[in-house]
Amino acid sequence: MPNLEPSPVFKRRKTEGDPVSVHRIQSNQTMKRWTTKREHQIYSSKLFQALCRSRRTSSSTSAKELHQTADRVLAITAKGTTRWSRAILAAPLTAGTNMKKHKRAKVTVHTRLRKPVVNREKRKLPVVERKLKALRRLVPGCRKLSCNNLLEETSDYIVALEMQVRAMTAITEFLSRGEAQAPTDRLGSIGNM
Amino acid sequence: MSGRRSRSKQSSVSSITDDQIADLVSKLQHLIPELRRRRFDKVSTSKVLQETCNYIRSLHREVEDLSDRLSQLLASTDSDSDQAAIIRSLLMQ
Repeated sequence: MPNLEPSPVFKRRKTEGDPVSVHRIQSNQTMKRWTTKREHQIYSSKLFQALCRSRRTSSSTSAKELHQTADRVLAITAKGTTRWSRAILAAPLTAGTNMKKHKRAKVTVHTRLRKPVVNREKRKLPVVERKLKALRRLVPGCRKLSCNNLLEETSDYIVALEMQVRAMTAITEFLSRGEAQAPTDRLGSIGNM
Repeated sequence: MSGRRSRSKQSSVSSITDDQIADLVSKLQHLIPELRRRRFDKVSTSKVLQETCNYIRSLHREVEDLSDRLSQLLASTDSDSDQAAIIRSLLMQ
């Protein structure tokens, strides 16, 4: 593999044992990489290779399998620096997980309507907590995470997803306009889009 | 987690944690296209979180959509058309 940006240095600060600031330094350095061309090229070519392989081994790839593959390659590209990426790789290939998440989100709304106003004084205002709960379900591997770390993971996850969308769009366009370009141009264009 | 924050978010007891949270929330705000143009307005935390969830869901949908198209493209390579032949050759890496 070509040499990438240096992996984030795990700095030790003399705060009162506050793990969040250390975590944040790490994530500030790594978040930017999702926007670099280099990372985009790496992801695109790995995904493309995975698609070629899957095409050779099985006759048809469902959209769901493809989505899982795209996520797994994304997690691999993250190189284990974030919790969401490790969670994606650790999870076995299951079907129907997305559907479950959707249903649970709906149930939360009903709970809110049932709670009378009086309860707000007994526990603190649940609005932000509810949103955090919803967020925890969306970001892989973050269900038990503290608020701070969750927001960290979310930031990185969003930027990574954006790159995933860019790369997959490029591959799709690349494959669907195969006729329009000369053969020598095509291979180089995956990384440049 | 519920014990960390008091009723008012600006309580001085948990100010360290609240500052960090405010920091992270504003960082999130910069990432979300909906809220980026309102960078200098105060956007409430719950709004930022709501928009974050919406944005992640829309990104997931986009990727699902793209997976769909890609899998269709790959499936179409079994046909006899010229397009299919070209895609097949591209995939023989």
